[in-house]
Amino acid sequence: MLAVCRRHLSQQKAIAPILFGNRLQRVCYSSTSASAGNASPIEYCRDYVRKHDYEGFLTSQVYPKHKQGGYFAIKAFYIELAMIQESVSNVTLGQMRMQFWRDAIKDISNNRPPRHPIALALYETSQSAQLQPYHFKRIIDARESELSAPAHLTVDSLTSHAESTASTFFYLSLALLSLSSSTLTHAASHLGIAQSLSTLIRALPFHTSKGRMVIPAEITARHGVNQQHIFTEQRPSKGLEDATFDFATVANDHLITARDMFKETGGKVPQEAIPVFSAAIPVASFLRRLEKANFNAFDPSLQVRDWKLPWQVWRGYYKRTF
Amino acid sequence: MSFARPRLALGLTPKLITASRSTALRSTLIAHRSISSSRCSHAEVTDTPGKINDSKTIKSPVGTGSYTAANEPDKYIDPYKDGPGAIDKAVHLFFFTEIIRGMWIVLENFFRPPYTIMYPYEKGPLSPRFRGEHALRRYPSGEERCIACKLCEAICPAQAITIESEPREDGSRKTTKYDIDMTKCIYCGFCQEACPVDAIVETQNQEFSTETREELLYNKEKLLANGDRAEAEIAANLHSDHVYR
Repeated sequence: MLAVCRRHLSQQKAIAPILFGNRLQRVCYSSTSASAGNASPIEYCRDYVRKHDYEGFLTSQVYPKHKQGGYFAIKAFYIELAMIQESVSNVTLGQMRMQFWRDAIKDISNNRPPRHPIALALYETSQSAQLQPYHFKRIIDARESELSAPAHLTVDSLTSHAESTASTFFYLSLALLSLSSSTLTHAASHLGIAQSLSTLIRALPFHTSKGRMVIPAEITARHGVNQQHIFTEQRPSKGLEDATFDFATVANDHLITARDMFKETGGKVPQEAIPVFSAAIPVASFLRRLEKANFNAFDPSLQVRDWKLPWQVWRGYYKRTF
Repeated sequence: MSFARPRLALGLTPKLITASRSTALRSTLIAHRSISSSRCSHAEVTDTPGKINDSKTIKSPVGTGSYTAANEPDKYIDPYKDGPGAIDKAVHLFFFTEIIRGMWIVLENFFRPPYTIMYPYEKGPLSPRFRGEHALRRYPSGEERCIACKLCEAICPAQAITIESEPREDGSRKTTKYDIDMTKCIYCGFCQEACPVDAIVETQNQEFSTETREELLYNKEKLLANGDRAEAEIAANLHSDHVYR
């Protein structure tokens, strides 16, 4: 989800096959393992996560080895649903694909998973972990309602949407690790909101190029942002920077609230829960860089991956903080 | 008025060609103004009966100053009698400059590299979302992706897709028949968008014309062969989409 790769990166990719036809082919084959598919669905999910959400892939490394497969399955499911809206051209098509996943979740709990690698991986995971179908359904429902109403008017409605998508993903991760303390769940819900909002800020240039404003109207109206102006100019205005600041502040507040949950232990996350909360490290890193760029979401420095991120994830794991 | 006359006698066109740009412009303007404001050099009194017709009889005649308003000495003079008409002048001015401008563009492009692409050998750029010939994909393990969910068949607005399926021994459902009638297909891309496993895709290939109509009725083997041929390209194009939510 955080793999908001650059717009111009994708343009480069379009040109790449023409320029480096042979090299690209080699890279493609070497990066996907030959057995990925229905025969080894976890492998497929692993490749899928690495391609589409590299930061999610980095934080997967701190999961215990026998839980990594489950993490990849849940993450791939989350990515798949999050990408549907960008890949369909009308709501009906999106609803059909949501229906496929709704049926898939039902079939998984009936021990008849469809022959989709992600569904098979989820089935495999659900054999060893207690994953509630309720959480999957909640993600699907939230994504489906997003199809017809992508923009939010208030911060509250966006927050509740984030809670039923990103936070629900963290609930599933906690369930995967068999953790069910109310403190952890509460912290995970705030972390999910922070992650969801920072992803939206990160994708702001992409969404404005598609004529969508991701910052809730409540905030943009307060700063007098002229949406049409931003859609046509593709440049930030003073008002948009102020609105981004307000929006990022909301995300940061949620991140701080999540940190506050672990005050009693001196800010240290329990050892068994650190894999889930290591997902906050890329979020914090992004918000720091956004602040450095003076809340200009169009700043090119925000579009590149932070090279220090692997180090930060590793350090966060050993210090048990985020 | 007096300067304008010899110019008019020389004509407009030689002036325009020989003079440098600024002088040509100026002289054109002068000529234009003088044409419209001055009388034609050939203007002369018409031979209708009038009192001023015979100049010899008018020198200090007896009845000098006895014209009344009803006499109107200029009444029978037609100043444009033998000169060019208004449309002739406009054609000279505007049509000729049009020709010059057109020739200038020709000259400019003569010194530029050609726009032409040598088509079968050179090709123009295509969007990663270009919708061309269809293909069925496989997993890297070689297994077919299609799970016979028939969503593409249901969404196809032209009803070009026909699927028949049967359960296999390992419990999976696979298609026994996957036909696309390429003569019906309208290349809307809905099949690709509806597919939950990214099995049916539209490749970048747009050069699949055939000699007979039957060759455009694609079956599963043909579609899978298309997919095998273009897999690297398809994967790269699909990868240009990322998660933004």
